[in-house]
Amino acid sequence: MKQIINRRSFLGSTLASTAVLTAADMTVLDALQAPAVAEELKRQDKRVILFWLAGGASQLETWDPKPGRPTGGPYRAIQTNVPGIHISELMPKMSQRLQNTAIIRSLNTKIGDHGGGATLMHLGRRDESALQLPDLGAMIAREMGQIDSAVPDYVAFYTATEGRSGGTGQSGFLGARYAPMFLTTESKPADLSLPPGIEAVDHQTRADLRELLSNRFAQGRKSSSLGSHNEAYARVRGLMSSEQLFDISGEPQAIRDLYGPTLFGEQTLVARRLIEAGTPFVKVSRAWWDSHGQNFETHLELVTELDHVMSGLLDDLEQRGLLDNTLVITMSEFGRTPSINASLGRDHFASAWSVSLTGCGIKGGSVYGKSDEDGQTVADGEIGAAELFATIFHALGIDHEKEYYVGVRPVPLTEPGTHPLKDVIA
Amino acid sequence: MIANDPNNLKVVKEVNRPGILFALAQQPDSSRLFVGASDFKVHDFDVMADKPEVVEYSGHESYVTGVVLAGKFLVSGGYDGRLIWWNTETKQAIRSIHAHTRWIRSVAATPDGKYVVSVADDMVCRIWDANSGELVRDLYGHDSRTPHHFPSMLYACAVSPNGRYIATGDRVGKNIVWDLANGRQLAVLETPIMYTWDPKARIHSIGGVRSLAFSSDSRLLAVGGMGQVGNIDHLGGLARVEVFDWQKGERTHEFAGDEYNGLVERLAFAPQDQWLLAAGGDNAGFIKFFDLAASKLIKQDKAPMHVHDLVLNDDGSKIYAAGHGKAVVWELAGA
Repeated sequence: MKQIINRRSFLGSTLASTAVLTAADMTVLDALQAPAVAEELKRQDKRVILFWLAGGASQLETWDPKPGRPTGGPYRAIQTNVPGIHISELMPKMSQRLQNTAIIRSLNTKIGDHGGGATLMHLGRRDESALQLPDLGAMIAREMGQIDSAVPDYVAFYTATEGRSGGTGQSGFLGARYAPMFLTTESKPADLSLPPGIEAVDHQTRADLRELLSNRFAQGRKSSSLGSHNEAYARVRGLMSSEQLFDISGEPQAIRDLYGPTLFGEQTLVARRLIEAGTPFVKVSRAWWDSHGQNFETHLELVTELDHVMSGLLDDLEQRGLLDNTLVITMSEFGRTPSINASLGRDHFASAWSVSLTGCGIKGGSVYGKSDEDGQTVADGEIGAAELFATIFHALGIDHEKEYYVGVRPVPLTEPGTHPLKDVIA
Repeated sequence: MIANDPNNLKVVKEVNRPGILFALAQQPDSSRLFVGASDFKVHDFDVMADKPEVVEYSGHESYVTGVVLAGKFLVSGGYDGRLIWWNTETKQAIRSIHAHTRWIRSVAATPDGKYVVSVADDMVCRIWDANSGELVRDLYGHDSRTPHHFPSMLYACAVSPNGRYIATGDRVGKNIVWDLANGRQLAVLETPIMYTWDPKARIHSIGGVRSLAFSSDSRLLAVGGMGQVGNIDHLGGLARVEVFDWQKGERTHEFAGDEYNGLVERLAFAPQDQWLLAAGGDNAGFIKFFDLAASKLIKQDKAPMHVHDLVLNDDGSKIYAAGHGKAVVWELAGA
């Protein structure tokens, strides 16, 4: 079921949002103009699922194989369903679904430690000590979420404990309103269920009473905090009603099989349910890819799983008519060294690595950039995190040059002078 | 003087080679080695020559991870799933077959050279007629998936000195002893400590049974791998060896390790079982000798590289080893 948004509901939510913005946003009033509204409506129907491959997935065992080279490792490259494009043989299912995917093989992000790399790839830029910046999920939640939404705007799964602090996500100066619903030990949020002994009708009755008292209190008073207070209640009630989205037990077995039996597969199925219900941004973290030893065994396990889960998700989105409006991203904090160490491992490597973008706004069946024959450097089309973020924003119909204001300081979505990759955009 | 006293262990030759040397066979009564490598080739050279001249055999399309002399042939196996028969006189391939659908991890041969045995990640052990290349028998008994829904791997195989038994070992620590003549399972031996599943921090696994060896009387089976690992990003577990009286199903020895981390990639018994040799490594390498009668470690030392394979000569006085970027020869003869 596609999210249906009409102009009235959009205007309502936009007007309501003006009262509660924590950061002054000079673009809100502009958005009320008719052409901008149309664009906004189009934009708000779009969704993002980010596969955060924490620890650093190897580009050589996924999107940029170098078969036969000393650095290539043992895996072969296989032809995809797009002539001329080869990926690792560990991804046979994705190899037959590449028509909607753009591979970017030319990231040089320069930061080779987990914490710094994760921060960079979450924010699209280096963090600042004086100002906490919002991450990709928070910015997209801010740009595409609806103020009166009954579902969360930003959900992030990160179940493994390793590297979790680097995958938390942050809303920065956008405020807690756009912070992720962060799920760690469980795949469903705690405390959403009604307490024992409280029926739904009791809950509704209490809400009605609270609203009556609140409205009576608000009569004759003018305060933005009143609106915020009421919105917070409404939002919590909405989130409580979204509890069933996290429960996949009712999904047909055929759908569950598409995603597979692993935790990563199950959380990705929840992600699909969330974006179908209107959540703009879901991050499913799959940790931990840090294969300093036994890289090929680790990637046999994890890429095989990624191939199954990702291809299942794409099939499911396509069958539901959601793929055109959903952007699926695979991304890590960095890639892995072309050189193979004595433990048959690969180490941290930020100089020439790969990500993928699939679906919404993307020119599928394409490859952007090129690493050299051994994968040691970028040979063509070098980009950094900023260009990647600009491309993601552009694919979603978001102006990457848009500025937030923190006090009088303008903070653009991406660093000034950054350009999206036109060759990757549909 | 004892010809093969581990306390006399010394490196007598190191030959640097580019890439990774995974598998090794030695021409009897010579220092001519056949080495399977990460450049998809078999390297043929005299390791003791002043300047070894290397002849390369091409034919595989991925890492060459098993080489064995069987009768008059050299047989190599690789991650391309192929077995290739080579004539070592002409240095030409005489037969190449698609033997497995996934990576071949190890190749062995019966002492009489009649049969070749291969194991692969399709989780099948296959017995081949060494002369004709015909498939003799498939042995199924290892699960294709781990209990956690990931692909399993069948790393190790060994043939008993009496030529009657085959042993195989997999990712999750399951070992099977088979009757070569009829394919029956004779024993199942579990070594679960060699498989580390991390359900919390990293949510994947590491380890597996990497090496197997029968004693000279074929009664004992030694199993090599690595103990439980805390941080599975690295080969951080202690090198581990367990020994079984496999017909009784009893574990007779457990060497949990102390000083060296990493995988025990290769095991070999001395000719009269005076000691058991284990070698392997993490980012570095090790070599260890165990006295089974006394259940103790005789000697252990750092190896010049992570050892992937080795061969003992007939009297156990020389060890030829291949590993990360090197071939090495140790002697045990003493002064």
